[in-house]
Amino acid sequence: MPYTIAEKIIAAHTHEKNVSPGDIVDVSVDFIMVHEVLGSRIVSILEEMGFKKVWDPEKVLVVNDHWAPAPDTESAQIHVRNRQFVRAQDIKHFCDVDGGICHQVLAEKGLARPGMLIVGSDSHSTTYGAFNAFSTGLAATDSAMILATGEIWLKVPEAIRIDIEGQLPTRVMSKDIILKIITDLGSDGANYKSMEFFGSLIDNLSVGSRMTMCNMTVEAGAKCGIMPMSSAVKDWLEKNAAGREYSPVSPDKDAEYSGSLSYDLTDDPVEPMVALPHSPVNSKPVSEIGDVEIDQAFIGSCTNGRLEDLEITAQILKGKRIHKDVRLIITPASRRTYIEAMRNGTIEILMDAGAIVTNSTCGACIGGHLGVLGPSEVCVSSTNRNFQGRMGHPTSRVFLASPATVAASAITGIITDPREV
Amino acid sequence: MRESQVLEGKAIVFGDDINTDQIIQGRYLQLLDYAEMAQHTFEVVMPDFVQVVEEGDIIVAGRNFGGGSSREEAPMVLKTNGISCVLAESFARIFYRNAFNVGIPAIVVKGISNQVKELERLQVNLLEGIVTPLGSGKRLVGERIPQKMLEILRAGGAVEWYKSLYR
Ligand code: SF4
Repeated sequence: MPYTIAEKIIAAHTHEKNVSPGDIVDVSVDFIMVHEVLGSRIVSILEEMGFKKVWDPEKVLVVNDHWAPAPDTESAQIHVRNRQFVRAQDIKHFCDVDGGICHQVLAEKGLARPGMLIVGSDSHSTTYGAFNAFSTGLAATDSAMILATGEIWLKVPEAIRIDIEGQLPTRVMSKDIILKIITDLGSDGANYKSMEFFGSLIDNLSVGSRMTMCNMTVEAGAKCGIMPMSSAVKDWLEKNAAGREYSPVSPDKDAEYSGSLSYDLTDDPVEPMVALPHSPVNSKPVSEIGDVEIDQAFIGSCTNGRLEDLEITAQILKGKRIHKDVRLIITPASRRTYIEAMRNGTIEILMDAGAIVTNSTCGACIGGHLGVLGPSEVCVSSTNRNFQGRMGHPTSRVFLASPATVAASAITGIITDPREV
Repeated sequence: MRESQVLEGKAIVFGDDINTDQIIQGRYLQLLDYAEMAQHTFEVVMPDFVQVVEEGDIIVAGRNFGGGSSREEAPMVLKTNGISCVLAESFARIFYRNAFNVGIPAIVVKGISNQVKELERLQVNLLEGIVTPLGSGKRLVGERIPQKMLEILRAGGAVEWYKSLYR
């Protein structure tokens, strides 16, 4: 039977002879990531299940990242529980409050590799599709079952094929492309489906830019977003996963897709895009949104807080000052990102321009701490969700954009095309 | 869940794209006590929800109910508030799964969003997926709950289901 990438990976992880879309199959999981939801929910569910030992302590990553370091006693208690669990269960991979955001940390540790089937207790676990892995988000109870057994049931998804040819124009980023794609699809346009990306753009993108795109596939409802192996991924794995095995997966020639989209950036270049409140699938080219004054500009998160994101921000801010009525908050996605940006001078440029650089955490992205919005405030943000109240007060408004657009907007005080500053 | 189970309750009606942040905002997720967290249910989209809701009530919604975060807290706060069932034009996948995991049936009923009035009483036949708004007496035919989800529901949620499998 001809398979899509997702079907092929699922088929390799189940006892069923064949799989087809709609089938519910039991799969073995290669790796699971859990964050604060472990301490807040999963631990007590495991107790209720009567569970004693993790199925494989080498195949689990525990991260304290959402409220890091703890801003209140509730978060602190959750972190304590996570640390206790890690010790008691002898979990091999642990990242405490100093390490960074789960999806970035997992990638940096070389734990996402081609052909793997990965689950995370977080909806943006689709991110690892950038590494040619099948990965999806589930919640506490399902994560508990995986921790106990290493297995879970999944419905085999239909797939949408997305071909993108051409190159990114200057200061247009993969964030702009994915905002356009999910807006074209709508908030449930890929519900239950696998979004599979192909074409010369995808083959040539950096690993970080691929992660941004797979990260946001869930905003169109997708179960996973997957890309084929590329040379950038190969280099990444050589650096971060040396000596560990993997097997790249390509789709079969006559694999069936329930839908398809195609973009040719050579004929039809994508402009910098902005998603208007209160939905990530509500995007327009920046030239069509009018004058939007901002109070806060935020660069960070598992979507766009990586080194390349901080570097393009520095390129735009170099020698300039941010607008006097704007605060620019920058949260590197991981400790490693922070250190690299410090060593190559990026952090200094950002701070000279007036940015506040925080430790690595989810922080402002989830309205937790380090950049919560007040009543009626407006923020332009490099994150992935602008749901009402997501980053603070219910009357605040969040516009999603690329780091380049956020940086340009921080200078002018209104949401601005990064090619114009 | 018994084979013939028919639920009855009043409808609380929402539109399209109600996401999990709207059901329960991220900033309340550190609260370990569900009763405390449940006080903030639908705080942004329907601030008086916790006053209006009664044991056995039914949520009726449009397309893509429960999109966004994977938080299981979303169906849990509904359950804590006494919601017995969610009916929508469509569900986001993680919410759908989570709802059954915590023991709340979710049924896809095409066309339901403009067939039910706010606070109207509904009867829901869980096995057949048939919904009857008692005001109009119309018979709305929803999708049948898949076998796997029925198993989980019958067990009383995923924890009990898991226990029965691995005992
Ligand atoms: S950075 Fe934001 S989107 Fe990413 S894992 Fe953290 S809270 Fe979720």
